[in-house]
Amino acid sequence: MGQPGFTVDVYQNEYLQEGGREVNAVVTVTSPDTVAAAAPAAGGAEIIIVDCSGSMGSPRTKIAEARAATVAAVDLIRDGVAFAVIAGNEKAQEVFPGDGSVAIADWQTRGLAKRAVAGLRSGGGTAIGKWLRLAHQLFASYPAGIRHAILLTDGKNQHETPEQLDGAISLCDGVFSCDCRGVGTDWEVGELRRIASALLGTVDIVADPAGLAADFAAMMETAMGKQVADVALRVWTPQHATVQFVKQVAPTVGDLTDRRTQSGPQAGDYPTGAWGPDESRDYHICVDVTPAGVGQEMLAARVSLVVGSPSGPEVLGQGMVKAVWTDDEALSTRLNRQVAHYTGQAELAEAIQEGLEARKEGDEETATAKLGRAVALAQQSGNEDTARLLAKVVDVVDAATGTVRLKKKVDAADEMTLDTRSTKTVRTKK
Amino acid sequence: MGGPAASAAGACPSCGEPVGSQDSFCESCGTELAPAAVSSGEPGDAPSCPSCPSARISADGYCEECGRRAPSGRDHQELDLGLLAGVTDRGLRHYRNEDAMALATAETPAGPAALAVVCDGVSTSDRPDEASLAAAQAAIRVLLSAARSGEDLAEASSRAVQSAREAVASLAGSSGDGPSATFVSAVMTSEAVTVCWLGDSRAYWLGAGPGPDARRLTTDDSLAEEMVAAGLLAESDALASPQAHVVTRWVGADPGPSAPHVARFEPPGPGVLLLCSDGLWNYQPEAVELAELALPAALADPLGAAGTLVKFALKAGGGDNITAVLAPFPPVRPDTAALRGPSAEASDTHAEEN
Repeated sequence: MGQPGFTVDVYQNEYLQEGGREVNAVVTVTSPDTVAAAAPAAGGAEIIIVDCSGSMGSPRTKIAEARAATVAAVDLIRDGVAFAVIAGNEKAQEVFPGDGSVAIADWQTRGLAKRAVAGLRSGGGTAIGKWLRLAHQLFASYPAGIRHAILLTDGKNQHETPEQLDGAISLCDGVFSCDCRGVGTDWEVGELRRIASALLGTVDIVADPAGLAADFAAMMETAMGKQVADVALRVWTPQHATVQFVKQVAPTVGDLTDRRTQSGPQAGDYPTGAWGPDESRDYHICVDVTPAGVGQEMLAARVSLVVGSPSGPEVLGQGMVKAVWTDDEALSTRLNRQVAHYTGQAELAEAIQEGLEARKEGDEETATAKLGRAVALAQQSGNEDTARLLAKVVDVVDAATGTVRLKKKVDAADEMTLDTRSTKTVRTKK
Repeated sequence: MGGPAASAAGACPSCGEPVGSQDSFCESCGTELAPAAVSSGEPGDAPSCPSCPSARISADGYCEECGRRAPSGRDHQELDLGLLAGVTDRGLRHYRNEDAMALATAETPAGPAALAVVCDGVSTSDRPDEASLAAAQAAIRVLLSAARSGEDLAEASSRAVQSAREAVASLAGSSGDGPSATFVSAVMTSEAVTVCWLGDSRAYWLGAGPGPDARRLTTDDSLAEEMVAAGLLAESDALASPQAHVVTRWVGADPGPSAPHVARFEPPGPGVLLLCSDGLWNYQPEAVELAELALPAALADPLGAAGTLVKFALKAGGGDNITAVLAPFPPVRPDTAALRGPSAEASDTHAEEN
């Protein structure tokens, strides 16, 4: 590799006891300061999708803040980037440029876009699948390297079936990435999480519409920093081995296992989306291998960062996950700190989501147990942000043992914030 | 026995100019004439996978189909410098060879000298295979230069440990336990043997007789030895204990009680010096028994005898990596081998490499 590559660091205990088959590793991928991609993104494309349903008008500040936020985001679109703005209700409408395509950003088009945005009014229902389909159509009209959307909604997807939404999501999968934001507390966390995780984006709550502009600006800034698109984590495994799971575990938990596309007889690609400079993400990989004898070593997985280029896939970085069989228990019983930590972080996210689900269904016993477990895990792992959010939903009696009582009255925004941010993880010191 | 051939003729392997038998460097081109030999070895030269029918082996030494590691050059290494020789082997229960040895010969003001370092990477530390190799390589360089210039060998041995420590420390990554290795070195002149060690790799004197004369020259820095020394355990019980091989001193980046032991030993007569890792002495700690295995063959054929010792350990179970280095005393160059460099042996590399 002639250019600065991605670094791939593998953290694992490679030692297995005799007959052991499960190999776990945490793989830290870090992009270089400047990503000199083989295929320099042929300019990017950005689409901002703003919910303009009737509920956005109450209170009236909501639609006003959404307009201001969209303007703030448009201001940050760099010259040469293709962009468009979509207004969504039970239909999808192209607010700008309005000719069924995208505009190329410069001072003039940005000005025109902002004027069009100023005219956004609220009214009608919510059919998010239709918004996504229009975005897909606009992205398809222009060959951009990095394709990214911001989607804002304040309500549930009431005016189409879940199947219709699912169909739209799978249409867009692999075509563009999408950061999702819910404003207020009348939207559904699960719905937006489904979109964001399929489209490799983030999901968050902006409980107070006043926070929208800053949030949009931050999202757009991050998007403008992306330099290399469509990077895949390629996992090679030995014959007769099975990948149990591939999860992103930092900065947030997201299961990629089912996102695999076969890329060779013994290799599969897992999408990671676009990367900016100096970005670092952790992945937990678990492989089931056929045991070899004591004293034998096996390459359990070769993990590469791969990006498509005109001359075929280019490997940006590579790491090795190993398995070594030993009869020395001192070696085989050691827990790798990274693997243990992220196993805990994944369980933490799960416990929160299951606990909140049980709470909604009135199953207080399960809710107390799950959220208690979450409190203990957050405390042990030093995930202070999550611990703080948990404390708004439960009264913590003893964090160490996870003894909690459900709060009688919980603010909807607090509950939704906890749910949305349950997947945020912290790193251990390495 | 006569002294070394005073002016055996030879030619520089690099430029072909004549060189003297006592020269360390070629006067014409500056090439080092008898560089140290180190048991390094590259992975991935195997033509096919030993575990499956595949013939596709990756550059880093793994089968592209079943993932099994192909044999590495370092799995088994033999080094023969005439004045001394050594064999190191992966054994049967470990997946790689974390032992390393470095051998060298030097012409000193007092005649020829044999130099050796044996290091055993601490398995529970980070990258123990690299640690042992780096330590051995760094140490032999210091010893070789000191022997050539006739410096104090005890003092040079301590410096060699310091240099080994720095080499190992520079390997330390940001995660896991710092790389570390045991250490035993010996410099043998026609007068004495200077031994230096940390950890549980050992030096033995195996006298050629007449009469039984074999002894261990080192004491282990291990929990087992400390328990025995404190009268808490019998040696046989201590060795059977799972804690037996926990070393209490080592060469590594970690701080700790780590001053090396240095001892000077004057052999009473002809015999052979043995340096070995615990992969050998685990199966036979007794000096007298080791002498019986190695002698008399070791006096004339140190490489063959080192091979015999390694085979003995393999046959006994091969539970750990095994290294045995033998140096006959007194160190006398065979008349016919005035210029014997490591290039005579395949698959070794020079100490200058990283």
